[in-house]
Amino acid sequence: MVCETGVGATGAGPAAEYLVPDWVRVRRESFGLLFYDTRSTKLTFVRCGDDMDPPPFTGARRLLRVRPSDESRAAALARLMQTLLVKGLVVAAGSDS
Amino acid sequence: MPPGLTHSRLRTPVNVTWEVTEACNLQCRHCLSAGLRAGSRRELDFDQCRRLIDELARMQVFQINFGGGEPFLRSDFLEILRYAHCQGITTCVSTNGTVLDDALIDGLLSVAPVYLQVSLDGARAETNDAIRGRGTFSRIMSGIELLAARGYPDLSLNMVVTRLNAGEIGEFDGLAGSHGAKTRLSRFRPSGAGCSAWDDFRLTREQLLELSAFLGDHPGVLTGDSFFALTPDGRRALGLNMCGAARMTCAVAPDGSVYPCAFLCDPVFLAGNVTDRGLADIFESSPVFERFREEAVETCRTCDRFSSCHGGCPAVAYFLTRSLDLPDPECLRAVVPATSAKEVV
Repeated sequence: MVCETGVGATGAGPAAEYLVPDWVRVRRESFGLLFYDTRSTKLTFVRCGDDMDPPPFTGARRLLRVRPSDESRAAALARLMQTLLVKGLVVAAGSDS
Repeated sequence: MPPGLTHSRLRTPVNVTWEVTEACNLQCRHCLSAGLRAGSRRELDFDQCRRLIDELARMQVFQINFGGGEPFLRSDFLEILRYAHCQGITTCVSTNGTVLDDALIDGLLSVAPVYLQVSLDGARAETNDAIRGRGTFSRIMSGIELLAARGYPDLSLNMVVTRLNAGEIGEFDGLAGSHGAKTRLSRFRPSGAGCSAWDDFRLTREQLLELSAFLGDHPGVLTGDSFFALTPDGRRALGLNMCGAARMTCAVAPDGSVYPCAFLCDPVFLAGNVTDRGLADIFESSPVFERFREEAVETCRTCDRFSSCHGGCPAVAYFLTRSLDLPDPECLRAVVPATSAKEVV
């Protein structure tokens, strides 16, 4: 699945952090991030450019950082994060994974 | 790969198929690895295996698909699995099921989750045994029943669909379900021993159509990368829409040789060896892999299903025609021309 973000203008948007559950792996690719759910072995392609920083491949309390490169991308990124939340690929940073 | 990203190049494979041993206690007529065994080369030792896993972890490869031979004939195989899990890599093991016992299942459960795929080539003994060898159905079923009795959580039964067993797919699906397993159907390809069995085992046109319809009606049936060239459009979201060889996957042979995929373990496609050179370097810069990524089946570009399969499986095309730029001869459009396609899709 590809989740696309909008194309923006100027001025960075607000940053946010999400927790990546133990069962999810994330890595950077040229188009953005590639998620892998170990519970289903399904892939999720996220076309987000450099707007997200993936956490380490493994380890405790892995945080995904979302940093919109400009304000106009913030809304699209918020929708994208909602999709990832629904799929269980990220959880709110205050949650236990 | 999703539309719009088909020309993107992944940094590293998503998964790697690793044939960890040549040893096998069966002689299946369609074995894709028979060519490897005929070569009788040595296997990577445990330290070499550990170094390869370390590299796969650095590459952030998500999954290793272990096969063989029969991987459980390697005495250190559980340790290899355990080491991969410690590095955060998901493992899937393809086994013939004949060596499973309670102690081995205990070991697997201690490493869990290990996705276990047991090969069984028919819902009936006479069908399976004609392909995998006399008496194998009861031996394989014994292993499956042990797993079912333990409630093994990540189990699938895999059938390579051939002319002999295609009529039993529904029955096979029921057999898997009754043992708490998912059904997995794999494509018979003319690789390894499959080359000499091709004329006997290849599906008829009617069987290909029935299989396509079955897959369309059963989205829960797993197929991996087997049938993207044959499946109805409604199933597209469930799997690949193009060959992943050298793009999303690659294969490592028992001696460390690297190929674009497990069905292309032929000297022509040898990209390197992990004992000489890192896998990341091979994946990144091997001329064999570069050629694969650039390969395009030009004759398919005008096909209405091009975005669904991009030419299909190059292994089938290559071993039947010795050419990589010819279309998969078993794609849906080869079976049903576009003018009459509404009958099946």
